[in-house]
Amino acid sequence: MSRPPPPPPPPPPTTNKDQQRQNPSLQEINIKLIQSGEKERLKELLRERLLECGWIDEMKALCRAFTRKKGRNNVTVDDLVHVISPKGRASIPDSVKAKLLQRIRAFLASTAD
Amino acid sequence: MSSKINGHVSPQPCPHLLDFRSRNGPKPFRALHDCIRVKPPGGCAAIRREPSEVPRCGTCEESSRSRLYACVACAAVFCHAPLLHSHASDHALSIPGHEIAVDVDRAELFCCARGDQVYDRDFDAAVVLAQTVNATATTSTSGSTAMQCSVAGSQPENLRKRRRVDYRPWEPDSGEHISRGNQSIPLLDATNASLVSSTQQPWGLRGLNNLGNTCFMNSILQALLHTPPLRNYFLGDRHNRYYCQQKNGAINGTKNSRLCLACDMDAIFSAVFSGDRTPYSPAKFLYSWWQHAAILASYEQQDAHEFFISMLEGIHEKVEKDKRKSQSPGGGDCCIAHRVFSGILRSDVMCMVCGFTSTTYDPCVDISLDLEPNQGGSGKSSSAKSLNSCNVEADCMHPNQNGGISTLNGCLERFTRAEKLGSDQKFFCQKCQVRQESLKQMSIRKLPLVSCFHVKRFEHSSIRKMSRKVDRFLQFPFSLDMAPYLSSSILRSRFGNRIFPFDGDEQDASNDLSTEFELFAVVTHSGRLDAGHYVTYLRLSNQWYKCDDAWITQVNESIVRAAQGYMMFYVQKVLYYKESENQGTS
Repeated sequence: MSRPPPPPPPPPPTTNKDQQRQNPSLQEINIKLIQSGEKERLKELLRERLLECGWIDEMKALCRAFTRKKGRNNVTVDDLVHVISPKGRASIPDSVKAKLLQRIRAFLASTAD
Repeated sequence: MSSKINGHVSPQPCPHLLDFRSRNGPKPFRALHDCIRVKPPGGCAAIRREPSEVPRCGTCEESSRSRLYACVACAAVFCHAPLLHSHASDHALSIPGHEIAVDVDRAELFCCARGDQVYDRDFDAAVVLAQTVNATATTSTSGSTAMQCSVAGSQPENLRKRRRVDYRPWEPDSGEHISRGNQSIPLLDATNASLVSSTQQPWGLRGLNNLGNTCFMNSILQALLHTPPLRNYFLGDRHNRYYCQQKNGAINGTKNSRLCLACDMDAIFSAVFSGDRTPYSPAKFLYSWWQHAAILASYEQQDAHEFFISMLEGIHEKVEKDKRKSQSPGGGDCCIAHRVFSGILRSDVMCMVCGFTSTTYDPCVDISLDLEPNQGGSGKSSSAKSLNSCNVEADCMHPNQNGGISTLNGCLERFTRAEKLGSDQKFFCQKCQVRQESLKQMSIRKLPLVSCFHVKRFEHSSIRKMSRKVDRFLQFPFSLDMAPYLSSSILRSRFGNRIFPFDGDEQDASNDLSTEFELFAVVTHSGRLDAGHYVTYLRLSNQWYKCDDAWITQVNESIVRAAQGYMMFYVQKVLYYKESENQGTS
């Protein structure tokens, strides 16, 4: 099955400093997050919250159900990811999203200069 | 041969992994071991060439949206998003021997050709070792050398907080649905359309038939049926009339022991909250009460307040003759009636000659307030003005505030005002050892859960051998703050900033509950002393309902405000559920 060519890579950061400050690209934000270690902290926070609200258990249950249906030896990680991704993304509680967004915004505000 | 991972039989080993191992010697992942980084706070292992490396896909520079895998053969990093595109798969399929990769953020081996995770004993052992080293190095307090990801010591604040679980409303599963349907009567809810359409009234409203001048009883019963702590007690089956009567019968064989006012109350609660809207006749209760208060047993009109007091006493007597519980009403532990209504009043009597103050505490189930019959006079024997110079409070205030209208707050203020005991009421001063003129002041030491205010509208004068009714209008608020009438406030205003001679235990018992109250029931009396009628107004879901024996109608709050209040029932605001919408109505 041939797929369409992947989307073009995001443009590299421009040298224009003003534009950088106003519209940091996703890549830049990602780099900042990783280098400061904030991304790991956010991941840990997310893990904790998803565990508390039972999301992880729900996903496990979905995976188990799928595996039982297809047979243990016929399931790959990619299949599971494929199956639970839509439901997983949709069922993240709004409070968790809000909390993470708040953290990210706070982080960006604190590192902006 | 089957190998086991964590006790589970592992799947068929991946041919690509076997191939890779066979071609790369005994320690094929040796180079990776150096790149294992254990990242706080969670202690999860990642693969990084340099600690601050930001991995990117070699083809598309993607670094944030997909999982990233590093080929273990050539160390090139690629993205892998099974739903969209996978440059890792492209790489794996394009170069033989490069099928095995490692997830850079999870340190897990992956076969990009098959799209599945693979396990290598040596590699996993190296990862676990790295995590253990990290765990023992960073934890100072915890001695655990957990072989898992989580590190106890270096957790940020949000993880150290106590685990909170988000609230999710309960939904019955199919089994519970069935058992619910089998054994319960339908409640008034939005799904039960027929019940909703037939009545707009909230739960627990039911008329009480007049059995012969029994409106005094009906009015008090209506107020008690909707006293939140009392209602919760009986509806929560805390006094089960079936169990109690058996118990009573078993202990004392005599017939009188079968009488239990609390059981009869329980029966009334069940009847009124059953959902049946036809008026109910509390005949059994009336009969029981007659037996209890024999002196009042007749078909004559009685005083609602007297009935209220005798009813509380009746519940107190018959409930819980348990020696373990203290029988003193002040503690409130003796019975539900006192638990709900009982407060403690403090009375200070100060000798006006030497200043010695004697303090007594008395329990009370309600507060009886005098109404000013005319301006300038007072129901008490002598009008009150505080003589203490520190009392900045209103001694010169005209008894009638608010332009001539009596208010409940005014009555309470009068109640707690320092009052000079007349010369014919001299109090024996312990210090002077003679009777001296004294100053008496009341205050509230402990607030009850439900405050009942009784307005003394019926004056019985034994001198003139006549009784009369005071019709004077009294304005009462819907929300009431009792703070100014507490002992602490009263005494503070008396003594100002000076250290006052408190008993050691004056730390307000009322500190643990708030002082704000909400009105929920008003018993009104209309007519003359000998021919009058009691009606109760109830406040449910912020709507007012008039309970006139068997007839219950919804009324506007202005009607209630204009009514002649005889007894007002206030409940602690924290116990009052003020709903903003009506239940069960469209």
